[in-house]
Amino acid sequence: MLSRNLWITAAALAVGTSGAFAGEHVVAQKDKQFSVRQMKIKVGDSVAFRNDDPFFHNIFSLSNVRSFDLGSYPKGESRSVVFDKPGRVEIECAIHPAMKMTIEVTQ
Amino acid sequence: MKLAALGLALALAVAAAPVSPADAKGAGRKTYDLSRDSVEASVVRGSIVFRTYCVLCHGASGEGNGRAAAQYVPRPANLTVSVLADQDKERIIRGGGASVGRSPFMPPWGHELTDEQIEDLIAYLRAINVRAS
Repeated sequence: MLSRNLWITAAALAVGTSGAFAGEHVVAQKDKQFSVRQMKIKVGDSVAFRNDDPFFHNIFSLSNVRSFDLGSYPKGESRSVVFDKPGRVEIECAIHPAMKMTIEVTQ
Repeated sequence: MKLAALGLALALAVAAAPVSPADAKGAGRKTYDLSRDSVEASVVRGSIVFRTYCVLCHGASGEGNGRAAAQYVPRPANLTVSVLADQDKERIIRGGGASVGRSPFMPPWGHELTDEQIEDLIAYLRAINVRAS
């Protein structure tokens, strides 16, 4: 009995720490805008940046919390970023300077 | 009092009046042809394109030190010492770096910039190039 309970506890811990319940979010780029200007997510969540415009976008961030550059990609393509630290991330498009959004990553 | 104010206004108006090319030359000042099709006007328009789209990576001076530059290897090009011909610059601007075997971090601008903007941008790049004769 003790052995069985120990296995169940160990399995629960493994699932809890593996990020199995990490959220997945989608932000579209359409008409040279992000589909949302601000969003809140949890540490470990991922955000997929999907290009719905008929031209390239180049999504990037220079924020210390999470800096990245997804490169230039065409319509229909989606590229994801995992946010593994809490804080505020400011996101832009290198091709369209007016495109900006922020992601607040919380514990 | 009214007469003094009128005199002051007149003096200010004369001081602010545009100088004719002849006057300017006589005063030793350089003149610029900013008619629509002039090179100078193209350079001015090109500087606006540069400040809007290019400074992020290439920096305000074009030396490759924009606020995003530090994250890229290779670094964005120092455009003030470029040895590329105008047509090569145009290919890179339109198709992006990857299209010509250069840095993939240089995005393609062909769908974002008009033909005139690209022409003006190249005129500006020529103007800031220290190697240009």
